[in-house]
Amino acid sequence: MSLGKYLALDKLSNFFNIIKQNGGIRASLYKMYRQDELKDGVLVGEDKFGNKYYENPRYFYGSNRWVEYSDKYNMDYDGSQVPAEWFGWLHYKTDLPPHMDPSRPKYKWMIEFTENMSGTTGQYTPYSTTRPKVEPWIPKRKSNA
Amino acid sequence: MSLAKVFSVSTRARASGASGLLFRHAQYSTSNQEGKVEKVYPPNVPGYKYVNAEDPDMSFKEMSNRAAQTIFWTELARGFAVTLAHIFKEPATINYPFEKGPLSPRFRGEHALRRYPSGEERCIACKLCEAICPAQAITIEAEERKDGSRRTTRYDIDMTKCIYCGFCQEACPVDAIVEGPNFEFSTETHEELLYNKEKLLLNGDKWESEIATNIRADHLYR
Amino acid sequence: MLRQPLTRALALSSPARAAPLAVRRYAEIAPQPDKVEVFIDDKPVYVPPGTTVLQAAAQVGVEIPRFCYHERLAVAGNCRMCLVEVEKSPKPVAACAMPVMKGMRVKTNSDLTRKAREGVMEFLLVNHPLDCPICDQGGECDLQDQSMAFGSDKSRFTDIHFSGKRAVEDKDVGPLIKTIMTRCIHCTRCIRFASEVAGVDDLGTTGRGTDMQVGTYVEKMFLSELSGNIIDLCPVGALTSKPYSFAARPWETRRIDSVDVLDPLGSNIVVSTRTNEVLRILPRTNEEINEEWLSDKSRFACDGLKRQRLVTPLMADSRGNLTPVDWEDAVVAAARALRDCPPDKLLAVAGDMADAESLVALKDLLNRLGSENACTEQYFPLEGAGIDLRSTYLLNTGIANVEDADFVLLIGTNVRFEAPLLNTRIRKAFIHKDTDVALIGPKVDLTYDYVHVGESASIVKDLASGTSAHEVLRKLEQAKRPVVILGADQLKTQEGAALLAYTQELALRLQDKLEDKNWKVLNVLQRTASQVAALDIGYKPGVGALLSAGPQVVYLLGADSGVVTRESLPKDAVVIYQGHHGDAGAAIADVVLPGAAYTEKRATYVNAEGRAQQTLPAVTPPGQAREDWKIIRAISEVVGVRLPYDNLDEVRDRLSQISPALVTYGDVQNNNYFAQARALAQSLQKPVSGNLDVKLKTLEDYFMTDAISRASPTMAKCVQAVLKQKQSTY
Repeated sequence: MSLGKYLALDKLSNFFNIIKQNGGIRASLYKMYRQDELKDGVLVGEDKFGNKYYENPRYFYGSNRWVEYSDKYNMDYDGSQVPAEWFGWLHYKTDLPPHMDPSRPKYKWMIEFTENMSGTTGQYTPYSTTRPKVEPWIPKRKSNA
Repeated sequence: MSLAKVFSVSTRARASGASGLLFRHAQYSTSNQEGKVEKVYPPNVPGYKYVNAEDPDMSFKEMSNRAAQTIFWTELARGFAVTLAHIFKEPATINYPFEKGPLSPRFRGEHALRRYPSGEERCIACKLCEAICPAQAITIEAEERKDGSRRTTRYDIDMTKCIYCGFCQEACPVDAIVEGPNFEFSTETHEELLYNKEKLLLNGDKWESEIATNIRADHLYR
Repeated sequence: MLRQPLTRALALSSPARAAPLAVRRYAEIAPQPDKVEVFIDDKPVYVPPGTTVLQAAAQVGVEIPRFCYHERLAVAGNCRMCLVEVEKSPKPVAACAMPVMKGMRVKTNSDLTRKAREGVMEFLLVNHPLDCPICDQGGECDLQDQSMAFGSDKSRFTDIHFSGKRAVEDKDVGPLIKTIMTRCIHCTRCIRFASEVAGVDDLGTTGRGTDMQVGTYVEKMFLSELSGNIIDLCPVGALTSKPYSFAARPWETRRIDSVDVLDPLGSNIVVSTRTNEVLRILPRTNEEINEEWLSDKSRFACDGLKRQRLVTPLMADSRGNLTPVDWEDAVVAAARALRDCPPDKLLAVAGDMADAESLVALKDLLNRLGSENACTEQYFPLEGAGIDLRSTYLLNTGIANVEDADFVLLIGTNVRFEAPLLNTRIRKAFIHKDTDVALIGPKVDLTYDYVHVGESASIVKDLASGTSAHEVLRKLEQAKRPVVILGADQLKTQEGAALLAYTQELALRLQDKLEDKNWKVLNVLQRTASQVAALDIGYKPGVGALLSAGPQVVYLLGADSGVVTRESLPKDAVVIYQGHHGDAGAAIADVVLPGAAYTEKRATYVNAEGRAQQTLPAVTPPGQAREDWKIIRAISEVVGVRLPYDNLDEVRDRLSQISPALVTYGDVQNNNYFAQARALAQSLQKPVSGNLDVKLKTLEDYFMTDAISRASPTMAKCVQAVLKQKQSTY
């Protein structure tokens, strides 16, 4: 064991690394505020919404992959903003990030990913997809009407 | 001592074949070469661990040790030390929604209706999912489509009734209804969870990338 | 010519078939030959010689699997599913076609039998598609069930990439039946039904072996008034119902036993419903009425129950347009009209499908208002015995007994379309018993040969007086069990009373000479399901005189046949229509009260033979519609003449006060007083000269006859199909 490690100097260098990677003290404080956590890692990819995906195997399994939601969401980030393509990687189902995985289907009928819209104007409201069961009789209008 | 007595009685009983009920006590006995059975308690059979509280050692040395620890609050100091140490450790919790836990490709989340690569909906209204649904959450109505094919006009799932057992996707002969990977579909009102066909198809269109990958990941076991 | 081969084909099974079917009061008592003893799985059973192994097994409760065998059709023996081992027989034998022999030992569960079944099953499945998920028969498929029970658990079929499975082009056989001929297993049940029961020799097989196909030989639709039955007969999904296609699975439907009201026979039906929607109607076996068949109108008109419905009370506004209103407004308006009307200016007309409960409620209401003017749309002569004696307006012989007749005389009726299932009975008698049929009236296709005596009503007179020179008279007089059926439609003319009198005279003259004193000859075939109950309750038949008296308030209880029109009424007359469909009646009404159709209420109907039966509610009435007698009861409350019944049981008590026959469900009372009726009718025997004519001459007339079938898109398609067929060169 090196002396540096014995005196926990590696922790110190990690600390400065993290600050540096997160863009200085101000940016780090903002990230702390937004994410409650500061981490360093490798940028694995970025989806079309601007969410960035990082990985650092130094962290324990379960927290070694994470997403930093796009800045445009500000504090309105939500778990459901991770699109389907990145879902598997982020949940440790696969080690292949979507842009490296050629077997993922891309059909033209597949639609844009949307987050959970509950509570917004875009929320889903149920409706019937069938015709009414009984067609009522509509009386003929008299001609003098 | 008294327990040992009980055991010796029980082994006798077993030896005479009078009772099978006391069979389980045999595991505590070890036999020596003469075939005589010697009782040890707690048993030192490999693979077994005695988990109950043992009587404290009542020797003078041990008793004074215990008294000293009580007087000098050593347990308190040790407790603080543990707490302090954990501040510097990596937390065991994950920081949702930035970090997410591991999921299986077989995870049964929000339902979706799939399509064929051509864009044609898969569901053929065979109603097997409706029949097997133990919560009776699925309602299907069907009729002949203009081109003569068998299609649903109504495919409703009451997600508040659903117990996410996955029987519907097991029953489906064409892999149309699947329980997708998504679990982040909580809503603010009850009615939003009464999914209709349109919503389920949209789910399928939205999640197809992940659903198809999951099915492929699992294909060897199906 | 038709009869000969069929009789031979049926000879194998007919004596034994006769035994378990129907209560045959008039069956010929031939000397019973000694029974032979056979052993089914070592269980001894005594059966008459000529019984097949399959029937003998059924007697000890051993069911042998079968596809082609059907107890009401000739034996074909071509599916081979019923193979069983018989001791000392070198090969397994087909149980459905093998007559028993003395001391025969049949093993229905031996290794050989099971192997044979498994083999047959495998061969059937080799050429059967595996499309159960999209097949409408799924869940009620004999092939599915039997392959689970008797088939192998694995497949040896590996040929899919080489020559593949057999595929057959689908046939267009009309708007009712959907064919997926690849699924056909060639049991030929449909072919046998068509030629034996329906009397339409359109179906048959072409080709042999793998090329064998069931179909119409030429491009032709299978159009018959009984075509729907081949859907039930088909053991697989080759023939399925087109209107019901893909609608539901058998396990998700609720089945409610009910009674059909679209023809006067009151066929027993099962109404399949799901989510408060009538999905289909199936026949329910009743040996006394419909056996296990059902006519197409009764079966397929049920989609008319979902169209053109009255779902909310309507009232004419100031411009005369019907607009939706509350029940309260409508009932008050109706009650006010009834109350303010002088009793002799009040008229109630009951329609085709009015149930006994609402009929009695309406009549009681009218009587309490001081009026007696309750009548039905269909006329019946009131002269002579009129409607006082029940035997004058009923089908006295009974539907089931018609097949025991040895001579049938039809007067002015096209039984085939007025009562299709009565016609199947006559046809059955014609084929199996060599019964002769004669017809007076226009020449129509009855599906069997008959002697056409003429069209003139005077023939009846000649026959009745015994002065006719026609051979039919001689045959009638020689007949041991003659049947005379008079169509009720003939009675509405001027000469109706005389025609009825002559028919009574003829029938009773024949009846007096019979050895069998219980046999009844006289039959009047009513046209509608409500008529018998209405006459029993005391409705006056026909609106003629009452209508010309210029009524001020007309209460139409489902009267849609166009007897009452705006033109026939005074200008200021108020028309109250109560019913379930927006049809002729509702169109002329000022107040419309939405009632329940026959699938939506528990109601009593009396069929043409006087058998009271009840429908059960399968679904709730749509929208604000209510049960009919309750509507009338509510109006009576508002008018101030409260009817003394609050629930259905009390209404039925009232019915039984009028006639106990109305509530003895399922039974037919023995009708008598024929002699008295004849005596009363003597004076009416005036000369008749007119020609008899029937309304329903050909198939296209049959499908749309009442408010429900007129609203049904399926029935409309049927009419189109028949007309299209007529254009065809075949």
